Amino acid sequence: MGEPEEVMPGSGAVFTFGKTQFAENIPSKFWFRNDIPTFLSCGDEHTAVVTGNNKLYMFGSNNWGQLGLGSKSTVSKPTCVKALKPEKVKFAACGRNHTLVSTEGGKVYAAGGNNEGQLGLGDTEERSTFHLISFFTSQRKIKQLSAGSNTSAALTEDGELFMWGDNSEGQIGLENITNVCVPQQVTVGKPISWISCGYYHSAFVTTEGQLYTFGEPECGKLGLPNQLLVNHRMPQPVPGIPGKVVQVACGGGHTVVLTEKAVYTFGLGQFGQLGLGTFLFETSVPKAIEHIKDQKINFIACGENHTALITDMGLMYTFGDGRHGKLGLGLENSTNQFIPTLCSNFLRFIVQLVSCGGCHTLVFATPRLGGTKEMELKE
Amino acid sequence: ASEASEAQTTDSDDIVTPVSLKCPKADSEKMCVEVISLAFNPEAEVMGDETVRQVYVEYKFCDVPLSETETPVSLRKPRAGEEIHFHFSKVIHLDPLTHAARRQFLRDALSGRGPEQGRLKFTVVSDPLDDEKKECQEVGYAFLELRQVMESGEDLVEQELEIVSPAERAPIGRLKVGVRAAAALRAVCAETQPRAEG
Ligand SMILES: [Mg+2]
Ligand SMILES: [Mg+2]
Repeated sequence: MGEPEEVMPGSGAVFTFGKTQFAENIPSKFWFRNDIPTFLSCGDEHTAVVTGNNKLYMFGSNNWGQLGLGSKSTVSKPTCVKALKPEKVKFAACGRNHTLVSTEGGKVYAAGGNNEGQLGLGDTEERSTFHLISFFTSQRKIKQLSAGSNTSAALTEDGELFMWGDNSEGQIGLENITNVCVPQQVTVGKPISWISCGYYHSAFVTTEGQLYTFGEPECGKLGLPNQLLVNHRMPQPVPGIPGKVVQVACGGGHTVVLTEKAVYTFGLGQFGQLGLGTFLFETSVPKAIEHIKDQKINFIACGENHTALITDMGLMYTFGDGRHGKLGLGLENSTNQFIPTLCSNFLRFIVQLVSCGGCHTLVFATPRLGGTKEMELKE
Repeated sequence: ASEASEAQTTDSDDIVTPVSLKCPKADSEKMCVEVISLAFNPEAEVMGDETVRQVYVEYKFCDVPLSETETPVSLRKPRAGEEIHFHFSKVIHLDPLTHAARRQFLRDALSGRGPEQGRLKFTVVSDPLDDEKKECQEVGYAFLELRQVMESGEDLVEQELEIVSPAERAPIGRLKVGVRAAAALRAVCAETQPRAEG
């Protein structure tokens, strides 16, 4: 990253990598006048950015109306969803072809594909504008949203988890039903603190720090021994992860888990998305990523086939499928990375947010003030 | 607002995107080669050869340093029915002024001249583990006909090539590659025509 940096404001920029539809898919960046990003979400081919002024910006593929802008044409520049301007947007979650949005007031809206009821509106008709999910009212404060391939989840501040949409693999944790069009509570009798919907599997963490997985059982992505896979439609605790789990991120065929001390991965790693090296391409046993064990990781994100980690120093590591430059390691020469690889582009920045999608990655980073020279020496 | 600042704003008007000062390079002045993945035939000798633990793939392109045209990592030898994925993609610059030799290399290749009779040769190499005191060993070759790319006029997003053993040239597996070079090959050919007639 070179020349136009001097014009970047001190409040930083959003950096785009891979097939974002923005800037002709060349690595690029943008920022807001008098506003900053507070939340990013990448779906399979679309992206949501929420700002400090509680506005929602959308761009990317739009075949199902998932941008909520009232049309189905691809949008190549972040575009404000004006219909939501009266609301204070807080979180967004982009799934494969739909989008969820929550507001400060506890409302939840949905737009896009709806073939499995993933919009939570009681039917399976797609919407190209955001529609209110009447189930959620101001009585519940939303803490987190997540969206997968035709699945949706909302987690409340009280630790209640609600899921809806496709249940063909048990990925919303309901035993005998193929899909539901309205939110249903998913519970293991303990408050839940984190939720992640992958493409066809899901995982959550309890406030006690126990990881549960459910959904498609293949390729080890549930992290469960074989004898437990028969019950894959129900959330089951994942054994073999020492310490307290704080976050989980589910990709297409892999799962990444952050504990207070380490990062564990399991599932498919044929492109390196497990970060476990060049000899292990699949595991159902959670394994710690040795390569970054000296780093304190604060945040994890999974795309379909790639993974990003943010350290407490604001550095970013990526690994997995390197196609389209989505690992942020260069476009002209790219390769799959099988161990966490430092994005040297961001040595002079503090990475604040990252989200990984199907073939793209978005990063919000602010210039690193002071200590710049030291960081550059590392480069 | 001036026209210049107008051009930098979206219809939302509150987004700023810095204008890139770099001119995008014409498609005719670069090509891209991708080593995608490889698999060995279950019955191939290499599958039972326990000295082959991990492999990488390399190719040679004119004056491009070999270190830039080999996959940066070696991957565990694929098991029967398994494919290993490199997704190693490299843009090769072909600016007429600075890389005339590379354009000549392509011209030669298209006319069937050069060391590989117009083919781009990929070599699968066995890479000994760090603790083994062995040399790298070539375990197979795969050949891409550049002329085919030109004649089809289309970039090859994904092409499956047969891997053959170095000695007997017996098939031992499959290598998937991508070559985005149609525009460059056309341009290189066009440069040839006047000379041929003249
Ligand atoms: Mg995602
Ligand atoms: Mg090497």
